[in-house]
Amino acid sequence: MKKRSKFAPIFVALILFLMYLPILVVIVYSFNESKYSNWTGFTFDWYDKLFSNKAIGASVINSLKVGVTSCLLSIVIGTAGAIGMNKSKFKFKSMLENLSLVPIMIPEIILGMAYLAFFTFLDIELGFTTLIISHTMFCIPYVFINVQSRLVGIDPHFVEAARDMGASPVRAFFDITLPLISPAIISGALLAFAMSIDDVVISYFVTGATTNTLPLKVFSMLKTGVTPEINALCTVMLVIVWTAIGLGLALKRVRNLQSK
Amino acid sequence: MRRRAEKNKGKVSPALWPMYITTIAFIVLPLLYIVGISFLEKGDYFGVKNVVTIENYHKIFDPMYLSVLWESLKLAIITTVLTFLIGYPFAYCTAKLPVKWRGMVRMLLMTPFWLNSLIRLNGWIILMKANGVINTVLQSMGLIEEPLQLLYNDGAVIIGMVYALAPFMILAIYNSVEKLDWSLVEAARDLGAGPVKAFFTVTLPLSLPGIIAGCVLVFVPCIGLFYVSDLFGGSKTMLLGSLIRNEMLQARNWPFGAALSMLMLIATIGALQLYKKIAKTDSLQGIM
Amino acid sequence: MKKFVRLTAVVLAMVLMCMLLVGCQSEKEAEPLVIFTWSDYLPQEVLDAFTAETGIPVEYTYFTQNEEMLTKLQAANGGTYDLVLASDYIIDIAIKEGLVQKLDKNIITNYQYIGEGFKGQFYDPNDEYTVPFAAGTPLIVYDPAKVDIEVTGYNTWWDPSLENSIVVMDSARVVVGMVLKSMGYSLNESDPAILKQAEEKLMQLKPNILALDYDTPHEKIISGECAMAFMFTPQAYWAVTERPELEVVYPVEGMGYGVDSFFIPSQAPNAEAANKFLQFILEGETAAELAMFTQYMCCVETAYDYLPEEYFNEILYIPAEILGETEIVQDVGPEATAIYDEIWTRFKQ
Repeated sequence: MKKRSKFAPIFVALILFLMYLPILVVIVYSFNESKYSNWTGFTFDWYDKLFSNKAIGASVINSLKVGVTSCLLSIVIGTAGAIGMNKSKFKFKSMLENLSLVPIMIPEIILGMAYLAFFTFLDIELGFTTLIISHTMFCIPYVFINVQSRLVGIDPHFVEAARDMGASPVRAFFDITLPLISPAIISGALLAFAMSIDDVVISYFVTGATTNTLPLKVFSMLKTGVTPEINALCTVMLVIVWTAIGLGLALKRVRNLQSK
Repeated sequence: MRRRAEKNKGKVSPALWPMYITTIAFIVLPLLYIVGISFLEKGDYFGVKNVVTIENYHKIFDPMYLSVLWESLKLAIITTVLTFLIGYPFAYCTAKLPVKWRGMVRMLLMTPFWLNSLIRLNGWIILMKANGVINTVLQSMGLIEEPLQLLYNDGAVIIGMVYALAPFMILAIYNSVEKLDWSLVEAARDLGAGPVKAFFTVTLPLSLPGIIAGCVLVFVPCIGLFYVSDLFGGSKTMLLGSLIRNEMLQARNWPFGAALSMLMLIATIGALQLYKKIAKTDSLQGIM
Repeated sequence: MKKFVRLTAVVLAMVLMCMLLVGCQSEKEAEPLVIFTWSDYLPQEVLDAFTAETGIPVEYTYFTQNEEMLTKLQAANGGTYDLVLASDYIIDIAIKEGLVQKLDKNIITNYQYIGEGFKGQFYDPNDEYTVPFAAGTPLIVYDPAKVDIEVTGYNTWWDPSLENSIVVMDSARVVVGMVLKSMGYSLNESDPAILKQAEEKLMQLKPNILALDYDTPHEKIISGECAMAFMFTPQAYWAVTERPELEVVYPVEGMGYGVDSFFIPSQAPNAEAANKFLQFILEGETAAELAMFTQYMCCVETAYDYLPEEYFNEILYIPAEILGETEIVQDVGPEATAIYDEIWTRFKQ
């Protein structure tokens, strides 16, 4: 196995390079003067345009509203669901489990279409309500799966011991179960949030008049022709994501030091 | 305590109610509605007429639509195999890296998920264009005179698909390889198995659930992903996803779109059942 | 048990919060004008100027396809949106489906300045429902460095020297229509036998097609990807502006034509503001500004005094004697539409 250790890092680096190559190109071209991607000169103009574009600003806010709300809702429903599923035994359990995972298991276009037809049929006005409902539904599975696989690894005796010592079920949950599963909740929620703020297909079908999200804005901008403005947007997003991750890691390190 | 556990048998824990209700209200009912629509006749310009028919399903067996289905399946299979051939060695090599690096790789793997996938795919277009980065570099090195036509062929579509979906395969396999009990591999080596034999008899079977999960996570979206073939293939080939979108929005034939969706749904459920059978599990939790 | 009650309560509270959030928002803003069209089709400056003049805020929302607009408008029962800007054939369907209300000509007194040639379109023969905004003719653009033959019109597309080098629009009606034109038929042919012939001819075009692209064919010819492309007026204008050596051809077989128009949905919440906006954009100076932004033919006669010289070029402003008889893509009815769609599906295999 030691022999392989030289090959492994090179292969990993190569694949990661191929993965980041297009992102790198996008960043470089966000400083390109020409609109049609033959390099002509360096400029900051596209960033200027990006930050003065009201529609993009509004779409970012809409995306955050929908993302945060559906993420929170899915945390509660998904976590409760995973715990409940762990405790219940009934005839249709496996069926319910499979059904709740349907949103990430079937091609998005089917669900988007089903929602549009269904909401129209029920006469629910397309807008935040429909966006949040549909996003919550496809966010739940990410939280659910993560929490459930974490629960499998938890010794049920912990909770039982707490209960025996007189803790109410609520206390036992908040003192024992929740701290144990919180990493799983967080990683599930982060993935769910990422999916929500990048969703095009389902949002495309259920969005209302004044609730266009960022991916929809990007999609329609790409349709009218790729402008470096979008490349600039990608660069800004990358900076934000990495700053957030960096801050998270730094915070973790500080905490680790403190606990030592 | 045992009594408490027994009491739960045949019972639905109340914590399950929110998920139960939302699943029925916003997954089962919409899908049932689509099933219903698929048996109706299309309205003249929009919506449906209340006339029951099975014509929509009959229409699917027209050779024209069967060929669309076949093209979609072919592309999905090729993509799944390729992402596996890239994803497995990658996940395996990552798991062999020192712990410190592993976290770094995982983070680098996750970051693209947060960036808009359309923009990332567009990065490849900039690379592969006639006046794009690859051609410019090759031309300036004197390797080619005329720009190569890299885009708008089947190869380009496959590159786009693999790029868009490989992270899912990698993550799924990595999750199962990382948890692998390496002492079993060592035991096999100690018993005299060569590295290749140890890999095929121990490592590979143990990571099978992750592989299958990865295949499902790649294969399923593959059938529905239409914008990759539009961007990289120049929209020349009609795929199932584009066909459904066209039927819904352009031809406004909701019933036929619904029938096609049903076909897709059945295919997907089939793939999931296969997963359960091979992975010998009743639950889908191993999938991520 | 209690904790489950609590959890459920939290869920409910959150749902309520979201609803409140949504509810508050619609109350807060003072009756905005909701305009529904393609992204980046109206300049922000003009919208801001309208708000400055009337005090009515403008909410600009967008779709990517005409058909998407129609689906959304149907879903909203003709409400939600105050003003829609879309293409001719889809407006035809919208009017037939009763989703459009009549314009208030007492407010839109500028209607008289619309050029006669743009009035009385097939979808609105009595000028009751729509305000034409932008008109254009799809044109053939080619790269002389890559094309050695003489390009005259649609029939040139089948030349064997153009193998794998043509980009046409990803639209059944436009491309099948051009094939029909090349055979001397109408764009709006609905006879299945003739459509069958057109399909056979279309299939022979396949080896020459590099890509199908509705939205960005100009980028493919600017980058040198293709030798020849068929595109809309502003796209042709952008391509030639970027690479002046490109040639534009007016097809001898006759040209297509298209008009994008505004209409007010039947249940528009703020129809008065919509009428005011239409009056506003029909002012000569504003109309000229809009035409220079969209790069389409301007429909308002009084705008011509304000248009700069570069507007009167061979793409935007084709002289009437060259333009000749143009033809608009019209709704051909459900049966023929289905045939067009099937031809297109078979073509894409």
